[in-house]
Amino acid sequence: MAATRAGPRAREIFTSLEYGPVPESHACALAWLDTQDRCLGHYVNGKWLKPEHRNSVPCQDPITGENLASCLQAQAEDVAAAVEAARMAFKSWSAHPGVVRAQHLTRLAKVIQKHQRLLWTLESLVTGRAVREVRDGDVQLAQQLLHYHAIQASTQEEALAGWEPMGVIGLILPPTFSFLEMMWRICPALAVGCTVVALVPPASPTPLLLAQLSGELGPFPGVLNVISGPASLVPILASQPGIQKVAFCGALEEGRALRRSLAGECAELGLALGTESLLLLTDTADIDSAVEGVVDAAWSDRGPGGLRLLIQESVWDEAMRRLQERMGRLRSGRGLDGAVDMGARGAAACDLVQRFVCEAQSQGAQVFQAGDVPSERPFCPPTLVSNLPPASPCAPSLVGGPWRVPWPVVVASPFRTAKEALLVANGTPRGGSASVWSERLGQALELGYGLQVGTVWINAHGLRDPSVPTGGCKESGCSWHGGPDGLYEYLRPSGTPAQLSCLSKNLNYDTFGLAVPSTLPAGPEIGPSPAPPYGLFVGGRFQAPGARSSRPIRDSSGNLHGYVAEGGAKDIRGAVEAAHQAFPGWAGQSPGARAALLWALAAALERRKSTLASRLERQGAELKAAEAEVELSARRLRAWGARVQAQGHTLQVAGLRGPVLRLREPLGVLAVVCPDEWPLLAFVSLLAPALAYGNTVVMVPSAACPLLALEVCQDMATVFPAGLANVVTGDRDHLTRCLALHQDVQAMWYFGSAQGSQFVEWASAGNLKPVWASRGCPRAWDQEAEGAGPELGLRAARTKALWLPMGD
Amino acid sequence: MSAYNRGTELDLSWISKIQVNHPAVLRRAEQIQARRTVKKEWQAAWLLKAVTFIDLTTLSGDDTSSNIQRLCYKAKYPIREDLLKALNMHDKGITTAAVCVYPARVCDAVKALKAAGCNIPVASVATGFPAGQTHLKTRLEEIRLAVEDGATEIDVVINRSLVLTGQWEGSDFIKTSTGKETVNATFPVAIVMLRAIRDFFWKTGNKIGFKPAGGIRSAKDSLAWLSLVKEELGDEWLKPELFRIGASTLLSDIERQIYHHVTGRYAAYHDLPMS
Repeated sequence: MAATRAGPRAREIFTSLEYGPVPESHACALAWLDTQDRCLGHYVNGKWLKPEHRNSVPCQDPITGENLASCLQAQAEDVAAAVEAARMAFKSWSAHPGVVRAQHLTRLAKVIQKHQRLLWTLESLVTGRAVREVRDGDVQLAQQLLHYHAIQASTQEEALAGWEPMGVIGLILPPTFSFLEMMWRICPALAVGCTVVALVPPASPTPLLLAQLSGELGPFPGVLNVISGPASLVPILASQPGIQKVAFCGALEEGRALRRSLAGECAELGLALGTESLLLLTDTADIDSAVEGVVDAAWSDRGPGGLRLLIQESVWDEAMRRLQERMGRLRSGRGLDGAVDMGARGAAACDLVQRFVCEAQSQGAQVFQAGDVPSERPFCPPTLVSNLPPASPCAPSLVGGPWRVPWPVVVASPFRTAKEALLVANGTPRGGSASVWSERLGQALELGYGLQVGTVWINAHGLRDPSVPTGGCKESGCSWHGGPDGLYEYLRPSGTPAQLSCLSKNLNYDTFGLAVPSTLPAGPEIGPSPAPPYGLFVGGRFQAPGARSSRPIRDSSGNLHGYVAEGGAKDIRGAVEAAHQAFPGWAGQSPGARAALLWALAAALERRKSTLASRLERQGAELKAAEAEVELSARRLRAWGARVQAQGHTLQVAGLRGPVLRLREPLGVLAVVCPDEWPLLAFVSLLAPALAYGNTVVMVPSAACPLLALEVCQDMATVFPAGLANVVTGDRDHLTRCLALHQDVQAMWYFGSAQGSQFVEWASAGNLKPVWASRGCPRAWDQEAEGAGPELGLRAARTKALWLPMGD
Repeated sequence: MSAYNRGTELDLSWISKIQVNHPAVLRRAEQIQARRTVKKEWQAAWLLKAVTFIDLTTLSGDDTSSNIQRLCYKAKYPIREDLLKALNMHDKGITTAAVCVYPARVCDAVKALKAAGCNIPVASVATGFPAGQTHLKTRLEEIRLAVEDGATEIDVVINRSLVLTGQWEGSDFIKTSTGKETVNATFPVAIVMLRAIRDFFWKTGNKIGFKPAGGIRSAKDSLAWLSLVKEELGDEWLKPELFRIGASTLLSDIERQIYHHVTGRYAAYHDLPMS
């Protein structure tokens, strides 16, 4: 026989039957780095930008530490240049019809297909993630994302009529991310006509490569610009004039800080925070399959973060045994090895795991580590933590605790019943994604609907598809990518002016609305109309305010129209409590039942038409106009009742047998501060969608004339269950302050001054409630688009994607 | 077989508690094939190992003593000697695990193997193969005759009408299928069976063997089956006492791959002896 290629080891392997290395050549990644002379700058406006006199950071192989290239760090002027390029590009990009954008996205998908080896080896080389996951997962999904969004772009004119692109989007990505995170966000933004400036952490070459691939396609070089730089550039990018929206992915505390610093600034903010996931294992589950779910979530290179694992007590021992057995078979190693489950994510990630484990152990937790893992840094073995006391600082349930479960750690804790599982699962401020493992359909759906998270998989974990919206709720941030929700992130209703900065540098957050100016009696009420209702409408009845004082309301001729109660912090507390009590019952109602009550209220308003019209007249409206306002208000109630019937829909996903439900769930307790103008119509226009979607509300009516809202309360008292809608009158700034700082208010709509808006945005950082603030801009409440447009419906509910794979 | 399944009391509540989530098992089946590969000398060593698991099978209606003889010779010398030498494996006594024939051909096989001077066991399918729909009396007689002729392993087709009505039978080995069905050994089914073997071992301490059969034709397939067993049950199941692959054409593809590994060239059809 001719020359032998056989190595000496076959004999040993024949006995040991061990796995060997399956190295993937990364020569093409190195060759690409060579084309840049191993020095990466920024990719702006279709060109490489390599300014002089910049600090550079080495881009290293996370495993060998070998220097692959040096990366220039951007400075403020580079950021400005990138934003300027995106601004110029936006003009033509957004003016083109959707099909042109669709073509560009499709071409980019094809380019990725042609150069996928370069993409996956580069990504795996610099991130250390398992190449198999990047190659078979990320790169394929990236192409699907482009194709899906190309289709959305091509049908934009019909499907998204009434919406227009926001403008330049600033995208901020965290230090450990896959390029896919960027694709999820740039695809919808580019599809609808926005242009993007992405700020990536130092030494992230893959996004630069993507920008280059896009830029070299020709006609639209400036639509995707990538600059790399330190976190200190985040506020600079965010406050750059021309940036209309900042999409931030990263750590919770950074997101919170950004929310505060961007209050009142021009850019809107979308947050996607934290990476941890949840898995609920019930006693009817296929435990072996659930164990594979845990592997997918935490011990592969698929999931970004750690996992909280809740196991039903009756199968605890069995599940732990299988988990530990499975962990022993996991393989970790160099990401470019084709047969490893887990790569390495650098020294920092490794330290984090070590600190977490030490802390958990010192709290008395049991830590189990196993697997075929190289002993040297920076490899971390798959880790299973159990018996962590619930009050320990690294217990995942601890509110505000500094610890997030890091990759590849799983923290397991037991539960007794499904009901308790829901309480434990929902008892954290996080609301990202979760999976439920149960073979009982009823139980699985009960848990799936009950979990307060953005995505629920039933008997699966970590499935993704471009057409399925992915996002979160609570402190995981409420920005979305994928599906229709991903598109709306970068759209605003047509005709709305670009959001302007309302920043007031001297607004003192500590004192805004803190004190209530005292009011004196202004004489007895006079005039033809009957004495107006008096009190705070809380829990279904009129109550005296805690402060036991009142404020006078004057009519348009300056005469006293009536007194309203002076509400304060304690009244807000009571109102929020009442709303929370009413919430489960109301949210559990069918849309039809909710519509029936809204229709009943509409009928009651019509019966009260003459009183309402005369009060509006006293506020200076013509009789005709006043009557029209009452009629329109009644119509709004009916319209929202009808509209909400057709909510949510089923998505069909390629490769998955079974549906994905896109649910529209209520937010919870919604605080609404109504505008001064249109005292009846604006109040009803805001109340109707909020209630129709199943929220309960605490409302602060028009400060100029709260009497109309109180008239409506008289009807609500008879029509609605107690606590559904609560109306608190008083000093607007003070009540706004109380609501915005309330941690148990799930969302807030504010229609008032620029300063108030800025405060609300700042204060919302506390529980990261989504806010909608008017920033002092008046709204045409009598117009259909602004008074009852789809924007209200979008803001009144949140999406949840419920995956239901089927099989016998 | 070294140790027999001592069996356990039939506990139907255990069986009824077993949950299998079909889509999740399908996903696992996809992943296992994608996540584990072996290359270079690992591949060669694994392939040689796979040879030792093969139940080299011929189950044709026109089997005669001449092709049985050829089969037995191939079982004894599954890989060309010079290729084994190149891998330094020629002294490992690599043969297939068994030859598997119809009951009427057991005699021929035993004779041929004796002539070749080796003690490879002869396995026989029996009991009304492949449907199993014959009387218990003739089924038992068939087994008795095959054993009399020298078969040491019997692949019994269980009476599936009993299974479907919940009346189970015990065994030392479980086999995915007869190989004569339209769908034979598939990964999802195998995963469920392997998990059942593991559960049974955990519960009773008895190790049950596993034999996929039907449709396993390529060397790549055989590697995937090895890693499936390694992943789900562990290395202790990777021995002929507990793992067999029922196949007829697989061996020649493995030999071709070994040829390529050793020589760096793709073999022509006539380069390797037929079975």
